Amino acid sequence: MDNANPVSVTGLFKDESKAAAAIKSIRESAWQLADVRGPIPSEMISQSLAVKKSPVGWFTLVGGIIGFITGYLLAAFTSLRWELIVSGKPVMAYIPFFIVGFEFTVLFSVFGNVAGLILTMQLPAYRDLPGYSTPASGEDFAVVVACAEEETESVQRMLANQGAKIELGH
Amino acid sequence: MANLTFNEIDNTVLKTLEPPTRTYWALVALLFAGIVVGFACWVYQILFGIGVAGQNNPVNWGTYLINFVFWVGIAHSGTLISAILYLLRAGWRNPIARAAETMTVFAVMTAGLFPFIHLGRVWMVYYMFPIPNQRTLWPNFQSPLMFDVVAISTYFTVSVLFWYTGLVPDLAIVRDRATGVRKKVFRVLSLGWTGKYEQWRHYSRAYLLFAALATPLVISVHSVVSWDFALGVIPGWHTTIFAPYFVAGAIHSGLAMVLTLMIPLRKIFHYERIITGKVLERVAQTIVLTGLIVGFAYGTEQFIAWYSQNTVEMEIFRFRAVGGFALSFWVMVICNTIIPLLFFFKRFRTSIFWLFTISILINIGMWYERYVIIISSVAHDFIPHAWGRYFPTWVEFGIMLGSFSLFFFLFFLFVKHLPSISMTEMKEKVHEEAAHG
Repeated sequence: MDNANPVSVTGLFKDESKAAAAIKSIRESAWQLADVRGPIPSEMISQSLAVKKSPVGWFTLVGGIIGFITGYLLAAFTSLRWELIVSGKPVMAYIPFFIVGFEFTVLFSVFGNVAGLILTMQLPAYRDLPGYSTPASGEDFAVVVACAEEETESVQRMLANQGAKIELGH
Repeated sequence: MANLTFNEIDNTVLKTLEPPTRTYWALVALLFAGIVVGFACWVYQILFGIGVAGQNNPVNWGTYLINFVFWVGIAHSGTLISAILYLLRAGWRNPIARAAETMTVFAVMTAGLFPFIHLGRVWMVYYMFPIPNQRTLWPNFQSPLMFDVVAISTYFTVSVLFWYTGLVPDLAIVRDRATGVRKKVFRVLSLGWTGKYEQWRHYSRAYLLFAALATPLVISVHSVVSWDFALGVIPGWHTTIFAPYFVAGAIHSGLAMVLTLMIPLRKIFHYERIITGKVLERVAQTIVLTGLIVGFAYGTEQFIAWYSQNTVEMEIFRFRAVGGFALSFWVMVICNTIIPLLFFFKRFRTSIFWLFTISILINIGMWYERYVIIISSVAHDFIPHAWGRYFPTWVEFGIMLGSFSLFFFLFFLFVKHLPSISMTEMKEKVHEEAAHG
């Protein structure tokens, strides 16, 4: 593809299976698939894009481990700083401390989950908004193809043949 | 529901965000007045001391703790609907998930105020938090009250983050249709969401993990609340059934509140095609299940008291059922376990009138359940000459009015300013139904 004067052609699909088929055709062609957007998550489209599993879960796991250690140690530390036997429970009451550990596990897992989401999705992503196709938040699946200006017509024809409504942009 | 298009879903929900009428603002003002009354009562209590409330020996836990448990309970069904039913792939949850989640957030906020109010000297609240200090005094994490501080703070934080994460794709839809200042506000709030599949890939995973984490959390939170009582040696409290009994009761009351909120919302915003009769019927069927569990717990408590042949335990349960608390006890039993059985009959669970009426009765019954548990046990424990009575004062009634006003005030503001139905989840449901014929 000649990148001297690139153009993006957006095909808006009502049907996810047609969008998925178009994605496969583009991936097999010399054109560059710039972007795919949609109003809902789609297993079919994800498969056609051959996306990998998100790494967000690792952030969640690390958050949870840190949370459990923090909660359990906090409970132990505060008890050791105040060494009085209360209600017959030992100062180091291992079983009740699990409750604090559990709550902190969930809290820090969620913090990890949110941190993972922000980092992997690079939020806030305001830079993506210019040139963004509005219908993709409503009802259409948008397949964006980057191509040289002289190839625009062929890309449009290919997308239209697959059942898309066409939008042009630079 | 399959005959709805994506555009129709967006249009129906976005129409609710149009400028409100005067009636709406009049209701908001009325609720705000209720909050002012509650706040004034709290200020009065701070100025004159906790003695202005009716709590005194032997009943030191009164309406503040009743309302705390009540509102935490209300919060629970929001998480049941948004997280547990999400994991179980129950499609009927989608139309009501957003409103139920919002109910959770506002109910936990309301509940969270009561420990502060109950403290009396609210400025001493920092004693509850593990803050490094020169007094070398630390909270005692062996106490269920400290479990509660951690559990409720975690529950509130997780609920808010879960709710906001779910809102992001919908905020982007509002942004794309809005103009002027509103567009700018929603542009910031939607964090630049564009529906890229790269975004969906991470979002779907994170949302699933949120649901997986919220599920054990919600069960732990009301279990911890129940241990505030069960770990004490007071008769009527000191029992191992409390955790599952409280969790089932919490979901029971929360589902009833979902019906109380959804039925007017559906009527006012013309959501009939989205929140269908089938959805309300499913909520009613779940209420039958939770009502039966709660009824089983009531019966087990009575049976175990008799089976133990412990004089004090037997006396407290006699006192509840046929003694000084008989009226409250039977309001509780009838409203929570007998009346919901009407939902076994299709006629009742498909009638909007009966759905709404029964939901209100369950709300009343669940408030009385907390009243019976909390007050009767401490009013009538081991030593007969230390038995006492309790009646809330006008200050407590004022604060209770304030709490209900605050909850509905926040909910009223929410339904006119943010999408009260998850457009994205509705589209997923419609899409799935269409795909499966």
